[in-house]
Amino acid sequence: MQAAYAPFISVAESIRFEITPQSLLPGVPVAVKDNICTKGMRTTAGSKILENYVPPFDATVVEKAKKEGAGIVGKTAMDEFGFGTFSTNCAFGVPKNPLDPERSCGGSSGGSAGAVAAFKLPIVSIAESTGGSITCPAAFTGTVGITPTYGLVSRWGLVDYANSLDKIGTIGKSVYDAALLLSVIAGYDEKDATSLRTQNTDYTAFAKPDGKKLRVGLPKEYFSSAVDSGIVKEVEMLADRLNSLGFELEQVSLPSTELAIPTYYIISMSEASTNLAKFSGLRYGLQLEFDEKQNIEEYFTKVRTEGFGEEAKRRIILGTFTRMAGYKDRYYLKALKIRKRIINEFKQAFAKVDVLLAPAMPILPPKFSEIEKLEPAQVYMMDILTVAPNMAGMPTVALPIGRINGLPVSVQVIADHLQEGKAIQMASIIEGLNGR
Amino acid sequence: MEDEVIIGLEVHVRLLTKTKLFCSCENREVEEPNTNVCPICMGFPGTKPMLNEKAIELAALAALALNCKINKTFSFSRKVYFYPDLPKNFQITQYDAPIGIEGELMLLKAGRKIRIRRVHVEEDPARLVHVGGDITSASYALVDYNRSGMPLIEIVTEPDLKTPAEAREAVATLALVLGHIGVCDPSAESAIRVDANISLAGGKRVEIKNITGFANVEKALLFEIARQKQLRAMHIEIEQETRHFDEIKKTTSSLRTKESEEDYGYIFEPDLLTYHITDSMISSLAPALEELPSKRISRLISKYQIPENYARIIIYEGKNFADFFEHTADIFEDRIMLAKWSVGDLLKCLNYNRIDVSQAKITPQSYAEFLSMIKSGEITERLGKELIKEFVATGADPRRLAERYKNENFENLDLTQVIEATIKENPKAVEDYRKGNQKALQFLIGKVLEKTNNTADPKKIRDMLNARVAQ
Repeated sequence: MQAAYAPFISVAESIRFEITPQSLLPGVPVAVKDNICTKGMRTTAGSKILENYVPPFDATVVEKAKKEGAGIVGKTAMDEFGFGTFSTNCAFGVPKNPLDPERSCGGSSGGSAGAVAAFKLPIVSIAESTGGSITCPAAFTGTVGITPTYGLVSRWGLVDYANSLDKIGTIGKSVYDAALLLSVIAGYDEKDATSLRTQNTDYTAFAKPDGKKLRVGLPKEYFSSAVDSGIVKEVEMLADRLNSLGFELEQVSLPSTELAIPTYYIISMSEASTNLAKFSGLRYGLQLEFDEKQNIEEYFTKVRTEGFGEEAKRRIILGTFTRMAGYKDRYYLKALKIRKRIINEFKQAFAKVDVLLAPAMPILPPKFSEIEKLEPAQVYMMDILTVAPNMAGMPTVALPIGRINGLPVSVQVIADHLQEGKAIQMASIIEGLNGR
Repeated sequence: MEDEVIIGLEVHVRLLTKTKLFCSCENREVEEPNTNVCPICMGFPGTKPMLNEKAIELAALAALALNCKINKTFSFSRKVYFYPDLPKNFQITQYDAPIGIEGELMLLKAGRKIRIRRVHVEEDPARLVHVGGDITSASYALVDYNRSGMPLIEIVTEPDLKTPAEAREAVATLALVLGHIGVCDPSAESAIRVDANISLAGGKRVEIKNITGFANVEKALLFEIARQKQLRAMHIEIEQETRHFDEIKKTTSSLRTKESEEDYGYIFEPDLLTYHITDSMISSLAPALEELPSKRISRLISKYQIPENYARIIIYEGKNFADFFEHTADIFEDRIMLAKWSVGDLLKCLNYNRIDVSQAKITPQSYAEFLSMIKSGEITERLGKELIKEFVATGADPRRLAERYKNENFENLDLTQVIEATIKENPKAVEDYRKGNQKALQFLIGKVLEKTNNTADPKKIRDMLNARVAQ
């Protein structure tokens, strides 16, 4: 599978399972996105600049999975630091879509979704989303991805992209699988100050295709002409079917959706440009030969020039610009205000409905040959359906609902903060419809 | 006409907490480099900071002591700059809402108040160890992360200081105030570090970085004023720059020129939350504010009935010294004698050994015992003045010290013989005394005492001398 689809950057040499009769994941293989620290196992975040980083500690999520009897099989391919939509910005090979190797797995958690799709095994993935990096690859590979509420899952051990947006989540072959893994990794952690003080929850209890009829909102901005018409049609058909089954449907509006992309990129790049500062070659980053004639700034520049990929450099430059004195008010601070507005719009919608239903991605999984032709701004537009819920920190489940020309079409079910249960329940109902 | 001098200070004070600001490493100087560290204070990818709330309490206390307005809701920011002492290449500090703003500090010698612009919390960078010279001349530098992540407050004054002496007084006063209320331990190495901004009226601003020691603040500024005035006299423009103070040569030298204000690209620290200072936290700090130097001086005077000048000296020596005095006063009743000895010989011996009382091995118990030996006449005051030197230097038991002293010297001393010898050796003084010269008697008593290494009782010597000379 690795030879055919290359989902992994590193593969475990051996695995020791710590299994008890109470284990929730006894002997379950877990793939971990390579920006999540694994003790003694290389963690590169897809970047050449971290090619030799072996963390001396496990991320909280990894520790929790191991404690429940799981084994870490490998570290999955990703866009460098999460900067991308197709996993093509990876320094260690590009993962290929198991449904069609000429197509992308999506990104940035491409390898995480690819590994789940590739193996005919009960494998699950610990993935991570900043602006859509779980929903996108889940949609492109026909797998199920859960992006939890910001703060539900500890970020201790995550190599930061944009700390106020980063969320560790799960990808599985079914809603149940993804929900089970989420039950294991969620929960308060004193090592992460932004972690929420929640009760331990068994999310598999919601992964049943029944329960009370939820009120479903259809955000009209998510059905715009920017989305592939075939995908829109599939989602509308699903909505009709739900309606005929007695679900209350309501069209809602999230008017600031069009501001979500610039807002997201300003905040995420501002934060990213500070996170990447530490990779300068002094403590972290490549260790290059130090030329006596160089001053330290020249050395830092050399390390960063050689170590970072093109997209990382672009985001460092843009993110530094948006937080500089004189520009900060116009960009960074303004983006923070708009983010609040976006959160409020979601909150207003969830006063009326339990969940929102929308297409997951605006396109079907593209071919690598098509991706090569895209300009950076066109790539950023691929996030049009995912950045708003990600910025608002709302839990989202992405799952497949059908196929067009053999390629998966997926929806996303979005719920209010900490209402993972509702999103999982709705996703299970939809999953059940497809099974019938 | 004399150029007006404008000085503002940024004073970095290490907070007296058990652990570092964002991790559980100990907050103390450890000699072996890079042993008091963890992945968090070394900025390992994947780690996150966890705020030490004790640091917030101490910072709020400092802000209250300086009469600041308190920002009850505050957050942290990232200050980004690339420098080898910063493991993350950004420092977690406070930018938009510092804990305290708009305070003041009274300078007694200068006879006026200066304004405090802000008090904020931040993490200390690592320590650079320059090998083969100082920062300007070293062949290379090593990085010791033991200091990385220690909790600091930065106190920024308005540019209200007019002379180097005032700047020194401001730093010394801050150390005194913050020391007494338990915010910092000014006696600890590098506990207080100063960046001084100085300009001549109408001239560009020069920053002298990282000065330690009150006297050095004054010396660095004196040199810098002289340098700037000289440049001005030669009609050379003063450059806006950052300079380094050489503690040995007492000069400043250029580190880097600033073409424009540095842009640190501050953003909110997204790994931390918005925090609140509650009213209950502020009221819990009230008892500590009772320890402010002015209040403590009054308390010492009324509680122990000691003269104001003694109380003042005791308090101005700092918290450790004042605590030592009070702990001794709990167990030694003659407070005036205690105060007199404390501000006199005790202080002299501590200064001679260049140690703080907390570093000396003496305890309030042993000190009280030492004083009671004098009070009961077990040893003479003169011998006491001799013994206290070794007592302070070694912390040895004072009774044993006294015994050893007597054994070694004059255990079976026959005072009559010593007096006979003294009279023989000083015939002129004896003659003068016979003629009624009282000074000559004092001289002879002194000589006898000297021979007994101050162990004999001067009164007894006087009586015996009188009797002998009258014969």
